[in-house]
Amino acid sequence: MPRQLIASGELIDEVTLTLEELARACSVEVEWVVEHIESGLLADGSPYVASWRFTSRDLIRARRLYRLERDFEAAPELAALAADLIEENQRLKERLRAAGPSDH
Amino acid sequence: MEFKDYYQVLGVEKAATFEEIKKAYRKLARKYHPDVSKEPQAELRMQEINEAKAVLTDPEKRLAYDHLGHQYRSGEDFQPPPDWDAGFEFSGGGFDEADLGEFSDFFANLFGQGGGAGRGSRGYQMRGEDRHAKVVIDLEDAYQGATRTITLQVPRVDAQGRVLSREHSLNVHIPKGVKAGQHIRLSGQGGPGMGGGPAGDLFLEIHFTPDPRYRVEGRDVYQRVPVTPWEAVLGASIETPTPSGVVKVKVPAGSQSGRRLRLKGRGIPGPEPGDLYVELEVVLPPADTDRARELYETMARELAFDPRQRKGD
Repeated sequence: MPRQLIASGELIDEVTLTLEELARACSVEVEWVVEHIESGLLADGSPYVASWRFTSRDLIRARRLYRLERDFEAAPELAALAADLIEENQRLKERLRAAGPSDH
Repeated sequence: MEFKDYYQVLGVEKAATFEEIKKAYRKLARKYHPDVSKEPQAELRMQEINEAKAVLTDPEKRLAYDHLGHQYRSGEDFQPPPDWDAGFEFSGGGFDEADLGEFSDFFANLFGQGGGAGRGSRGYQMRGEDRHAKVVIDLEDAYQGATRTITLQVPRVDAQGRVLSREHSLNVHIPKGVKAGQHIRLSGQGGPGMGGGPAGDLFLEIHFTPDPRYRVEGRDVYQRVPVTPWEAVLGASIETPTPSGVVKVKVPAGSQSGRRLRLKGRGIPGPEPGDLYVELEVVLPPADTDRARELYETMARELAFDPRQRKGD
Protein backbone atom coordinates (compact mmCIF):
# COMPACT_ATOMS: atom_id res chain seq x y z
CA MET A 1 0.00 0.00 0.00
CA PRO A 2 1.45 3.39 -0.90
CA ARG A 3 2.35 5.61 2.01
CA GLN A 4 -0.52 7.92 2.75
CA LEU A 5 -0.47 11.45 3.99
CA ILE A 6 -1.99 12.19 7.34
CA ALA A 7 -4.89 14.57 6.97
CA SER A 8 -5.32 17.21 9.64
CA GLY A 9 -8.58 19.04 10.02
CA GLU A 10 -10.16 21.78 12.03
CA LEU A 11 -11.87 20.96 15.28
CA ILE A 12 -15.39 22.33 15.14
CA ASP A 13 -16.25 24.29 18.29
CA GLU A 14 -12.73 25.72 18.32
CA VAL A 15 -13.81 27.14 15.00
CA THR A 16 -17.57 27.50 14.74
CA LEU A 17 -19.67 27.09 11.60
CA THR A 18 -21.33 29.96 9.80
CA LEU A 19 -24.99 29.76 8.87
CA GLU A 20 -24.06 28.88 5.28
CA GLU A 21 -21.58 26.22 6.38
CA LEU A 22 -24.11 24.63 8.72
CA ALA A 23 -26.74 24.55 5.97
CA ARG A 24 -24.32 23.04 3.46
CA ALA A 25 -23.07 20.42 5.94
CA CYS A 26 -26.67 19.33 6.52
CA SER A 27 -27.63 19.51 2.82
CA VAL A 28 -30.37 22.02 3.58
CA GLU A 29 -31.18 25.52 2.46
CA VAL A 30 -30.12 28.45 4.64
CA GLU A 31 -33.81 29.35 5.04
CA TRP A 32 -34.47 25.93 6.55
CA VAL A 33 -31.89 26.59 9.27
CA VAL A 34 -33.18 30.10 9.96
CA GLU A 35 -36.79 28.91 10.24
CA HIS A 36 -35.83 26.16 12.66
CA ILE A 37 -33.85 28.51 14.85
CA GLU A 38 -36.62 31.08 14.88
CA SER A 39 -39.12 28.39 15.89
CA GLY A 40 -36.83 27.34 18.75
CA LEU A 41 -36.34 23.83 17.34
CA LEU A 42 -32.63 24.21 16.67
CA ALA A 43 -29.72 25.76 18.57
CA ASP A 44 -32.10 26.63 21.39
CA GLY A 45 -30.10 28.07 24.23
CA SER A 46 -26.84 27.92 22.27
CA PRO A 47 -24.52 30.70 23.39
CA TYR A 48 -23.47 31.32 19.80
CA VAL A 49 -26.80 31.69 18.11
CA ALA A 50 -27.04 35.45 18.55
CA SER A 51 -23.89 35.77 16.45
CA TRP A 52 -25.10 33.10 14.00
CA ARG A 53 -22.24 30.75 14.70
CA PHE A 54 -22.81 27.06 15.24
CA THR A 55 -21.19 24.18 17.10
CA SER A 56 -20.89 20.43 16.65
CA ARG A 57 -23.98 20.01 18.80
CA ASP A 58 -26.01 22.19 16.45
CA LEU A 59 -24.70 20.24 13.47
CA ILE A 60 -25.76 16.90 14.93
CA ARG A 61 -29.15 18.31 15.88
CA ALA A 62 -29.75 19.92 12.49
CA ARG A 63 -28.86 16.75 10.57
CA ARG A 64 -31.10 14.70 12.82
CA LEU A 65 -34.05 17.09 12.38
CA TYR A 66 -33.61 17.16 8.62
CA ARG A 67 -33.47 13.37 8.35
CA LEU A 68 -36.51 12.90 10.58
CA GLU A 69 -38.52 15.42 8.59
CA ARG A 70 -37.49 13.92 5.28
CA ASP A 71 -37.69 10.22 6.08
CA PHE A 72 -41.02 10.41 7.89
CA GLU A 73 -42.42 13.44 6.11
CA ALA A 74 -42.73 14.81 9.62
CA ALA A 75 -43.76 18.30 10.64
CA PRO A 76 -40.77 20.21 12.05
CA GLU A 77 -42.19 20.32 15.57
CA LEU A 78 -42.84 16.57 15.50
CA ALA A 79 -39.31 15.88 14.25
CA ALA A 80 -37.98 18.10 17.05
CA LEU A 81 -40.03 16.16 19.60
CA ALA A 82 -38.61 12.88 18.26
CA ALA A 83 -35.10 14.36 18.31
CA ASP A 84 -35.57 15.46 21.95
CA LEU A 85 -36.63 11.93 22.88
CA ILE A 86 -33.76 10.33 20.97
CA GLU A 87 -31.26 12.64 22.69
CA GLU A 88 -32.76 11.98 26.12
CA ASN A 89 -32.72 8.26 25.42
CA GLN A 90 -29.05 8.41 24.46
CA ARG A 91 -28.15 10.27 27.66
CA LEU A 92 -30.00 7.76 29.84
CA LYS A 93 -28.49 4.79 28.00
CA GLU A 94 -25.03 6.21 28.54
CA ARG A 95 -25.72 6.63 32.27
CA LEU A 96 -27.14 3.13 32.47
CA ARG A 97 -24.10 1.71 30.73
CA ALA A 98 -21.76 3.53 33.10
CA ALA A 99 -23.74 2.38 36.13
CA GLY A 100 -22.84 -1.17 35.18
CA PRO A 101 -25.03 -4.24 34.80
CA SER A 102 -28.05 -4.13 37.07
CA ASP A 103 -28.19 -6.53 40.03
CA HIS A 104 -31.94 -6.34 40.23
CA MET B 1 -21.93 3.49 -13.18
CA GLU B 2 -24.43 0.78 -12.35
CA PHE B 3 -28.08 0.85 -13.16
CA LYS B 4 -30.27 1.04 -10.05
CA ASP B 5 -33.55 -0.76 -9.85
CA TYR B 6 -35.59 1.56 -7.68
CA TYR B 7 -38.53 -0.85 -7.63
CA GLN B 8 -36.28 -3.53 -6.17
CA VAL B 9 -34.94 -1.07 -3.58
CA LEU B 10 -38.48 -0.43 -2.30
CA GLY B 11 -39.59 -4.03 -2.84
CA VAL B 12 -42.56 -3.13 -5.01
CA GLU B 13 -43.85 -4.31 -8.40
CA LYS B 14 -43.19 -2.24 -11.48
CA ALA B 15 -46.92 -1.67 -11.70
CA ALA B 16 -47.16 -0.45 -8.10
CA THR B 17 -49.54 2.44 -7.47
CA PHE B 18 -48.48 5.70 -5.85
CA GLU B 19 -50.12 4.56 -2.60
CA GLU B 20 -48.32 1.19 -2.65
CA ILE B 21 -44.99 2.94 -3.15
CA LYS B 22 -45.69 5.32 -0.27
CA LYS B 23 -46.66 2.42 2.00
CA ALA B 24 -43.53 0.46 1.13
CA TYR B 25 -41.46 3.57 1.73
CA ARG B 26 -42.99 4.25 5.14
CA LYS B 27 -42.36 0.68 6.27
CA LEU B 28 -38.73 0.83 5.16
CA ALA B 29 -38.18 4.30 6.65
CA ARG B 30 -39.21 2.98 10.08
CA LYS B 31 -36.83 0.06 9.66
CA TYR B 32 -33.80 1.92 8.35
CA HIS B 33 -33.94 5.47 9.71
CA PRO B 34 -30.40 5.74 11.09
CA ASP B 35 -31.38 7.35 14.40
CA VAL B 36 -33.46 4.38 15.44
CA SER B 37 -32.39 1.47 13.23
CA LYS B 38 -30.35 -1.43 14.50
CA GLU B 39 -29.79 -2.74 10.98
CA PRO B 40 -26.22 -2.75 9.66
CA GLN B 41 -25.53 0.02 7.16
CA ALA B 42 -28.85 1.65 7.92
CA GLU B 43 -27.62 5.01 6.71
CA LEU B 44 -26.69 3.68 3.26
CA ARG B 45 -29.96 1.79 2.97
CA MET B 46 -31.97 4.85 3.95
CA GLN B 47 -30.21 6.88 1.30
CA GLU B 48 -31.14 4.31 -1.34
CA ILE B 49 -34.72 4.19 -0.14
CA ASN B 50 -35.07 7.97 -0.23
CA GLU B 51 -33.62 8.11 -3.68
CA ALA B 52 -35.98 5.42 -4.97
CA LYS B 53 -38.94 7.22 -3.43
CA ALA B 54 -37.88 10.56 -4.87
CA VAL B 55 -38.02 9.09 -8.37
CA LEU B 56 -40.98 6.74 -8.10
CA THR B 57 -43.35 9.16 -6.38
CA ASP B 58 -42.72 11.89 -8.95
CA PRO B 59 -44.90 11.07 -11.97
CA GLU B 60 -42.60 12.81 -14.45
CA LYS B 61 -39.43 11.23 -13.19
CA ARG B 62 -41.03 7.83 -12.83
CA LEU B 63 -42.22 7.95 -16.43
CA ALA B 64 -38.76 8.89 -17.69
CA TYR B 65 -37.11 6.30 -15.46
CA ASP B 66 -39.49 3.54 -16.59
CA HIS B 67 -38.84 4.42 -20.20
CA LEU B 68 -35.13 3.97 -19.60
CA GLY B 69 -35.49 1.14 -17.11
CA HIS B 70 -36.98 -1.53 -19.31
CA GLN B 71 -33.68 -1.73 -21.19
CA TYR B 72 -31.53 -2.31 -18.10
CA ARG B 73 -31.21 -4.71 -15.23
CA SER B 74 -30.12 -3.73 -11.74
CA GLY B 75 -26.36 -3.50 -11.36
CA GLU B 76 -25.76 -3.53 -15.11
CA ASP B 77 -23.19 -1.05 -16.35
CA PHE B 78 -25.06 2.03 -17.37
CA GLN B 79 -24.46 5.32 -19.12
CA PRO B 80 -27.46 7.55 -19.76
CA PRO B 81 -27.94 7.66 -23.54
CA PRO B 82 -27.64 11.15 -25.01
CA ASP B 83 -30.95 12.96 -24.88
CA TRP B 84 -32.45 10.06 -22.96
CA ASP B 85 -34.96 12.41 -21.45
CA ALA B 86 -35.98 14.04 -24.71
CA GLY B 87 -39.74 14.19 -24.81
CA PHE B 88 -40.12 14.22 -21.04
CA GLU B 89 -41.01 17.37 -19.21
CA PHE B 90 -39.39 18.02 -15.87
CA SER B 91 -41.10 20.81 -14.11
CA GLY B 92 -38.37 23.05 -12.81
CA GLY B 93 -35.84 20.28 -12.35
CA GLY B 94 -37.49 19.42 -9.09
CA PHE B 95 -34.30 18.55 -7.25
CA ASP B 96 -32.04 20.96 -5.54
CA GLU B 97 -28.47 20.70 -4.47
CA ALA B 98 -29.56 19.22 -1.17
CA ASP B 99 -31.09 16.15 -2.77
CA LEU B 100 -28.15 15.64 -5.06
CA GLY B 101 -25.76 15.79 -2.12
CA GLU B 102 -27.49 12.88 -0.47
CA PHE B 103 -28.14 10.81 -3.55
CA SER B 104 -26.03 8.54 -5.72
CA ASP B 105 -24.07 9.32 -8.87
CA PHE B 106 -26.63 7.32 -10.78
CA PHE B 107 -29.38 9.64 -9.61
CA ALA B 108 -27.31 12.77 -10.15
CA ASN B 109 -26.52 11.69 -13.68
CA LEU B 110 -30.13 11.16 -14.57
CA PHE B 111 -31.87 13.97 -12.78
CA GLY B 112 -29.15 16.25 -11.58
CA GLN B 113 -27.87 19.31 -13.22
CA GLY B 114 -24.57 17.61 -13.93
CA GLY B 115 -26.15 14.89 -16.04
CA GLY B 116 -29.07 14.18 -18.35
CA ALA B 117 -32.08 16.21 -17.49
CA GLY B 118 -32.39 19.91 -17.94
CA ARG B 119 -28.96 21.40 -18.11
CA GLY B 120 -28.10 21.53 -21.78
CA SER B 121 -24.53 21.99 -22.80
CA ARG B 122 -23.66 25.08 -20.83
CA GLY B 123 -20.86 24.61 -18.32
CA TYR B 124 -22.30 24.07 -14.89
CA GLN B 125 -20.16 24.32 -11.79
CA MET B 126 -21.19 22.84 -8.51
CA ARG B 127 -19.36 22.39 -5.25
CA GLY B 128 -19.13 18.77 -4.13
CA GLU B 129 -21.39 17.78 -1.29
CA ASP B 130 -20.20 17.69 2.30
CA ARG B 131 -19.90 14.17 3.60
CA HIS B 132 -20.13 12.77 7.09
CA ALA B 133 -18.57 9.81 8.85
CA LYS B 134 -18.25 8.59 12.40
CA VAL B 135 -14.91 7.84 13.98
CA VAL B 136 -14.64 5.72 17.10
CA ILE B 137 -11.62 6.38 19.30
CA ASP B 138 -10.57 5.37 22.79
CA LEU B 139 -10.90 7.91 25.57
CA GLU B 140 -7.11 7.77 25.96
CA ASP B 141 -6.78 9.06 22.38
CA ALA B 142 -8.65 12.21 23.38
CA TYR B 143 -6.08 12.77 26.14
CA GLN B 144 -3.06 12.28 23.94
CA GLY B 145 -4.14 12.81 20.37
CA ALA B 146 -3.79 10.02 17.82
CA THR B 147 -3.65 9.09 14.19
CA ARG B 148 -6.42 6.91 12.87
CA THR B 149 -7.00 5.29 9.54
CA ILE B 150 -10.57 6.03 8.64
CA THR B 151 -12.25 3.67 6.26
CA LEU B 152 -15.16 5.33 4.58
CA GLN B 153 -17.91 3.33 3.00
CA VAL B 154 -18.95 4.63 -0.38
CA PRO B 155 -22.29 3.10 -1.28
CA ARG B 156 -23.14 1.22 -4.44
CA VAL B 157 -25.87 -1.23 -5.39
CA ASP B 158 -25.09 -4.70 -6.74
CA ALA B 159 -26.92 -6.72 -9.38
CA GLN B 160 -29.42 -8.01 -6.81
CA GLY B 161 -30.28 -4.52 -5.65
CA ARG B 162 -28.37 -4.93 -2.40
CA VAL B 163 -26.46 -1.99 -1.06
CA LEU B 164 -22.77 -2.71 -0.98
CA SER B 165 -20.00 -0.38 -0.15
CA ARG B 166 -16.62 0.37 -1.57
CA GLU B 167 -13.88 1.24 0.87
CA HIS B 168 -11.87 4.43 0.82
CA SER B 169 -9.08 4.82 3.39
CA LEU B 170 -7.78 8.05 4.86
CA ASN B 171 -5.23 8.71 7.60
CA VAL B 172 -6.48 11.37 9.96
CA HIS B 173 -4.88 13.17 12.85
CA ILE B 174 -7.19 13.18 15.87
CA PRO B 175 -6.25 16.25 17.90
CA LYS B 176 -5.75 16.08 21.62
CA GLY B 177 -8.72 17.35 23.58
CA VAL B 178 -11.46 16.17 21.25
CA LYS B 179 -14.87 15.47 22.81
CA ALA B 180 -17.50 12.90 21.95
CA GLY B 181 -19.93 14.45 19.47
CA GLN B 182 -17.38 16.96 18.26
CA HIS B 183 -16.54 17.18 14.57
CA ILE B 184 -13.28 17.36 12.72
CA ARG B 185 -13.67 19.12 9.39
CA LEU B 186 -11.37 17.99 6.60
CA SER B 187 -11.55 20.56 3.84
CA GLY B 188 -11.87 19.23 0.32
CA GLN B 189 -12.22 15.58 1.40
CA GLY B 190 -15.95 15.39 0.71
CA GLY B 191 -17.71 14.68 -2.55
CA PRO B 192 -16.02 15.79 -5.79
CA GLY B 193 -17.27 18.97 -7.41
CA MET B 194 -18.99 19.03 -10.78
CA GLY B 195 -17.77 20.94 -13.81
CA GLY B 196 -14.59 22.04 -12.08
CA GLY B 197 -16.34 23.08 -8.86
CA PRO B 198 -14.44 22.58 -5.60
CA ALA B 199 -14.77 19.37 -3.59
CA GLY B 200 -16.95 19.37 -0.49
CA ASP B 201 -15.72 18.87 3.07
CA LEU B 202 -15.65 15.71 5.14
CA PHE B 203 -17.03 15.99 8.67
CA LEU B 204 -15.85 13.32 11.08
CA GLU B 205 -18.02 12.91 14.15
CA ILE B 206 -16.07 11.64 17.14
CA HIS B 207 -17.38 8.79 19.26
CA PHE B 208 -15.65 7.02 22.14
CA THR B 209 -15.37 3.26 22.42
CA PRO B 210 -17.67 2.30 25.29
CA ASP B 211 -15.41 1.58 28.25
CA PRO B 212 -16.93 0.06 31.38
CA ARG B 213 -14.43 2.01 33.53
CA TYR B 214 -15.41 5.49 32.41
CA ARG B 215 -18.38 7.73 31.81
CA VAL B 216 -17.76 10.93 29.91
CA GLU B 217 -19.82 14.11 29.92
CA GLY B 218 -18.35 16.81 27.75
CA ARG B 219 -14.76 17.01 28.93
CA ASP B 220 -15.50 15.67 32.42
CA VAL B 221 -14.70 12.04 33.05
CA TYR B 222 -16.29 9.91 35.77
CA GLN B 223 -14.57 6.84 37.04
CA ARG B 224 -15.42 4.39 39.80
CA VAL B 225 -12.52 3.31 41.98
CA PRO B 226 -12.82 0.37 44.37
CA VAL B 227 -11.45 0.96 47.88
CA THR B 228 -11.24 -1.19 51.00
CA PRO B 229 -13.41 -0.35 54.03
CA TRP B 230 -10.33 0.74 56.03
CA GLU B 231 -9.11 3.02 53.21
CA ALA B 232 -12.52 4.67 53.15
CA VAL B 233 -12.92 4.96 56.90
CA LEU B 234 -9.38 5.78 57.96
CA GLY B 235 -8.34 7.71 54.90
CA ALA B 236 -5.53 6.66 52.58
CA SER B 237 -3.43 7.64 49.68
CA ILE B 238 -4.19 5.22 46.84
CA GLU B 239 -2.95 4.78 43.31
CA THR B 240 -5.46 4.34 40.53
CA PRO B 241 -5.18 4.02 36.77
CA THR B 242 -6.87 6.91 34.90
CA PRO B 243 -7.03 7.75 31.20
CA SER B 244 -3.92 9.92 31.67
CA GLY B 245 -1.95 7.28 33.54
CA VAL B 246 -1.65 6.16 37.15
CA VAL B 247 -2.60 8.92 39.57
CA LYS B 248 -2.26 9.20 43.36
CA VAL B 249 -5.56 10.01 45.02
CA LYS B 250 -6.02 11.03 48.62
CA VAL B 251 -9.08 9.35 50.10
CA PRO B 252 -10.34 11.49 52.98
CA ALA B 253 -11.06 9.72 56.26
CA GLY B 254 -14.71 8.97 56.85
CA SER B 255 -15.57 8.43 53.16
CA GLN B 256 -18.61 6.39 52.21
CA SER B 257 -19.26 4.41 49.06
CA GLY B 258 -20.33 6.78 46.30
CA ARG B 259 -18.26 9.71 47.53
CA ARG B 260 -17.00 11.73 44.61
CA LEU B 261 -13.53 13.24 44.57
CA ARG B 262 -12.74 15.85 41.97
CA LEU B 263 -9.32 15.84 40.35
CA LYS B 264 -9.27 19.26 38.79
CA GLY B 265 -8.05 19.45 35.21
CA ARG B 266 -7.59 15.68 34.91
CA GLY B 267 -10.50 15.29 32.49
CA ILE B 268 -10.10 15.63 28.75
CA PRO B 269 -7.56 18.38 28.03
CA GLY B 270 -8.55 21.44 26.06
CA PRO B 271 -8.85 25.21 26.27
CA GLU B 272 -11.08 24.52 29.27
CA PRO B 273 -9.86 21.14 30.47
CA GLY B 274 -12.38 18.86 32.09
CA ASP B 275 -12.18 17.36 35.56
CA LEU B 276 -11.84 13.73 36.53
CA TYR B 277 -14.38 12.60 39.12
CA VAL B 278 -13.31 9.58 41.09
CA GLU B 279 -16.27 7.85 42.66
CA LEU B 280 -15.31 5.66 45.59
CA GLU B 281 -16.80 2.20 45.72
CA VAL B 282 -16.22 0.45 49.03
CA VAL B 283 -15.69 -3.26 48.45
CA LEU B 284 -16.00 -5.62 51.38
CA PRO B 285 -13.41 -8.35 51.79
CA PRO B 286 -14.96 -11.81 51.77
CA ALA B 287 -15.18 -13.70 55.05
CA ASP B 288 -13.58 -16.74 53.50
CA THR B 289 -11.11 -17.65 56.26
CA ASP B 290 -11.54 -18.24 59.98
CA ARG B 291 -9.50 -15.14 60.72
CA ALA B 292 -11.64 -12.98 58.43
CA ARG B 293 -14.83 -14.29 60.01
CA GLU B 294 -13.38 -13.56 63.44
CA LEU B 295 -12.62 -9.96 62.45
CA TYR B 296 -16.17 -9.41 61.18
CA GLU B 297 -17.57 -10.98 64.34
CA THR B 298 -15.42 -8.69 66.49
CA MET B 299 -16.74 -5.69 64.57
CA ALA B 300 -20.30 -6.89 64.95
CA ARG B 301 -19.81 -7.22 68.69
CA GLU B 302 -17.86 -4.10 69.35
CA LEU B 303 -19.16 -1.50 66.92
CA ALA B 304 -22.53 -0.08 67.81
CA PHE B 305 -23.53 0.43 64.19
CA ASP B 306 -26.95 0.14 62.60
CA PRO B 307 -27.05 1.57 59.05
CA ARG B 308 -30.87 1.30 59.08
CA GLN B 309 -31.19 3.55 62.07
CA ARG B 310 -31.85 7.03 60.76
CA LYS B 311 -30.35 10.07 62.39
CA GLY B 312 -32.73 11.61 64.89
CA ASP B 313 -34.62 8.33 65.50
